[in-house]
Amino acid sequence: MNAPFFKFDYFNSDVSLIIAFVIGIAFGIALEKGGFGRATILASQFYFTNMRVLKVMFTAIVTAMLGLYFLSVIGFVDLSLVYLTQTNLLPMAVGGVIAGLGFIIGGYCPGTSMVAVATGKLDALVFVVGMIFGILVFGEMFPWIEEFFNSGYRGTITIPSYFNLSYGLVVFLVVLMAIGAFAAAEWGEKKMAAKTGKEIL
Amino acid sequence: MTSLTKWISNAFEKEEGQEHIYHEAKPFSNPYLVGIGLGLVLLSAFVIMGRGLGASGALSTVVAVTVNTIAPEHSAGNNFYSEYLGDGTANPLKDWLIFQTLGVLAGGFLSGTISHRVKKGVEKGPRISTKMRFVYAFIGGGLLGFGAKLARGCMSGQALSGGAVLNLGSWVFMMMVFVGGYAAAYFMRRQWI
Amino acid sequence: MKKFFSNLSLNKKLALIAISLGLVALIAGDPYGGTTIKVNEKSIALSTVNNSDKISVNELADWIIKNKSDFELIDLRNEEKFNEYSIPNARNIPLVQIPSSDLLRNQKIILFSDDNLEAAQGWFILKSKNYKGVYILDGGLNAWKEKILFPKAPVNASKDQLAEFEKMKEIAKFFGGQAQTDNSIEQTKQEIKLPTPTVNKQKNVPPTGKKKKREGC
Repeated sequence: MNAPFFKFDYFNSDVSLIIAFVIGIAFGIALEKGGFGRATILASQFYFTNMRVLKVMFTAIVTAMLGLYFLSVIGFVDLSLVYLTQTNLLPMAVGGVIAGLGFIIGGYCPGTSMVAVATGKLDALVFVVGMIFGILVFGEMFPWIEEFFNSGYRGTITIPSYFNLSYGLVVFLVVLMAIGAFAAAEWGEKKMAAKTGKEIL
Repeated sequence: MTSLTKWISNAFEKEEGQEHIYHEAKPFSNPYLVGIGLGLVLLSAFVIMGRGLGASGALSTVVAVTVNTIAPEHSAGNNFYSEYLGDGTANPLKDWLIFQTLGVLAGGFLSGTISHRVKKGVEKGPRISTKMRFVYAFIGGGLLGFGAKLARGCMSGQALSGGAVLNLGSWVFMMMVFVGGYAAAYFMRRQWI
Repeated sequence: MKKFFSNLSLNKKLALIAISLGLVALIAGDPYGGTTIKVNEKSIALSTVNNSDKISVNELADWIIKNKSDFELIDLRNEEKFNEYSIPNARNIPLVQIPSSDLLRNQKIILFSDDNLEAAQGWFILKSKNYKGVYILDGGLNAWKEKILFPKAPVNASKDQLAEFEKMKEIAKFFGGQAQTDNSIEQTKQEIKLPTPTVNKQKNVPPTGKKKKREGC
């Protein structure tokens, strides 16, 4: 087991910052090429006219998940050293709903807003300012929210662990679910396009 | 239902001019290929660093550092800020996420420039003014900032990265984002379509 | 069959590949290493060369005094013995629980028991699971008590040896022991468990010993 390389001290944290920058560039390119620098494309996800967000996101998740799974199974990656955020059920559910609202109202998510700013979108700039404000509000309110923030703790746990299923089985189910979602999305898009007679971006 | 579709078709008609720019210079518009590319970037982060990507964390660090500069005692007593400030042994701005986010800015700009997609403008639907768009952008950003911090991550960190490692909380978050988005979509339709 | 495959659109091809990989995942097994391990006996044997896998009690004492926290010190004996006396900062993981412990592969792990036997067994268990930084405390607790806690004055000592002994006296005091300056049988074994004020019992030391940098989003 040699990977994750950083966890085995192949390089120090200063070098990791350079790597962060390079990975960020690749991230930004992928997002921009995907059309995610445009709020109208991101939002059209929620009107069923353009399901790009779902397609790109789930494809990315499935790709990374399969890659990580197989690299771990052959013993190249030590999966136990890959970072996992802890699970706090209720705060994450509530945070998700709030974030979803922010997504459709603001038209961006943090990562895509950066790409949009980089391509000159002024509304993205306003969005980023809004985010900073939201974080500040959260920080200031934290003493009162702290208890809720730490509630619903389930440890650092994966879906296979929680539901007592084999990791491989969950991987398979996720692939199935994603393909099902893609099929539904393609069908939905076609129906919408047929109704309006316009091409999908 | 027909009036709804009429509105949608009107939106697409108005967007035709901009659409055209996007149809040229798009080496791969296949969202699945983009997704695979993005997935590989994410995978490389896992294999090289043992962590996923992120976005909101960088902004949080900036906010925490700013608050700390202005009022150090205040941020020291606050568990949220202090987490982003570290234990004082290293400059909190030498943060992996900050450098990654700078990269995203660079990469987005690079890709946009090459495809002639860098243009000053405002993304919005045809039925809303720029001013209102800015108001909504600000509100949306505020909600997203707050929600992302409450959930310990945003779409990149929780949904994408956490999703790929089958993290329980991440999948819960991801599902609820879609719930929140679709729930409010009807009320926001004036802004987009 | 080939014609069928080449007639599919790109998207359908991708979907097919994904489902195939998913099916393989169904039978491919546990990504965390599972219960069957590939033992690379050559590399394990190699790592015993040059005693690079051993730590002397003197070195360990030095590290503890200097407050180094980049390693995990594991006491492999049972709980009773651990509570009786153990080396400062040690964690108790009985040998039989080592496979199911939360130790990580990139940590620096120092194993000890009363002598070298259990430490060696624990060493092998971890090495076979590809743990990178496993070390045995040479001589175990017996050596610790003999050399660190109750160092004996050298007979017919030279000046250097005497100076060395003075240092050992200080170290012994630090750990709550007592140097043996005469040849009398040691009276009482110091069964007190640390810590002396300068020795921090760091329970929250991050696994890699580096300051824990946030890794979240």
